[in-house]
Amino acid sequence: MNAPAVARAKTHERIVVVRLADAAEAITVLSLAFGLLLVLFPVSFPKMIVNSWEHGQLMPVMMVLALLLDACLYARIAVMRSAKPGIVAAVCLGSLPLLVVGGLSLLLQGAVSHALSGDMPNLQLRVGEEILAHTYLGLISAVFLPFLVIRLLQQFKATNS
Amino acid sequence: MPDWTSLKWLGWISLYLVPVVFLPWALSRAWVHQHGSDLQVGPKRLFQRGELGLLGLVLASSVIWNLLQSQFTPHTIALGSVLMALSGIMAASVWVETYCRESGENSWRPARAWRDSRNLALLVFSMAAVMEILLDRFAKVAGQ
Repeated sequence: MNAPAVARAKTHERIVVVRLADAAEAITVLSLAFGLLLVLFPVSFPKMIVNSWEHGQLMPVMMVLALLLDACLYARIAVMRSAKPGIVAAVCLGSLPLLVVGGLSLLLQGAVSHALSGDMPNLQLRVGEEILAHTYLGLISAVFLPFLVIRLLQQFKATNS
Repeated sequence: MPDWTSLKWLGWISLYLVPVVFLPWALSRAWVHQHGSDLQVGPKRLFQRGELGLLGLVLASSVIWNLLQSQFTPHTIALGSVLMALSGIMAASVWVETYCRESGENSWRPARAWRDSRNLALLVFSMAAVMEILLDRFAKVAGQ
């Protein structure tokens, strides 16, 4: 086998190295889109989120959205780096978004119970704002945290090898 | 109907951008002009060691402070604070990594440090903006 062919084969064997800055780009766009929707539709957008939470549709939708975003982002990084996806990263990206959204759903239940237990004015509106904040933070966490874990695992692996 | 009053956070965040980004750039331009140097000073060159990551940490700290002052439930405050802190720390760690690489024997790539710090600072900036909109909305509801 000649030298260029060996180099090409090595490139194909290399597992993709994720940098947090790659994921940061996509999360910035997601974040700005959420903010823009809040500014442009200050009533209807939060109402849609609260309604879907009341009907139990918010968390499944967030899980699917986070999984799709993470998968697309990882595939894009793999194509950009001309490297093949790793099995550990695939496991992280397949499980962590679901775990994060599931865990934050429990936290949201706790926050809503806490808000309802207090004797405060505008209780319904307060609960709506809590749901809105948790939806935003949940989406960001579900995309950011898996890539942070992959990045730290890569660092750990590089230190040990 | 759009709620443009929520955009007041833009003025608040620009208070951080002016002294941290534009002032050093303007001062360096003034220095080049004064000394008749042919040095090409742009943001990419000025912040090539990942200094923008430090801006991210400062911005994250101020949003955490605002969150702690808010009337959100402790659950929301904790979640928001942890997420802001994580993104701020990761942004600042770009500068730390670059400093260590530059000081040590590891290869230092200015283009990578600039790109990483810029992307992470933009992430913190966008998160800070949305958190301020959410805080503003909640303050209006709590104040009614």
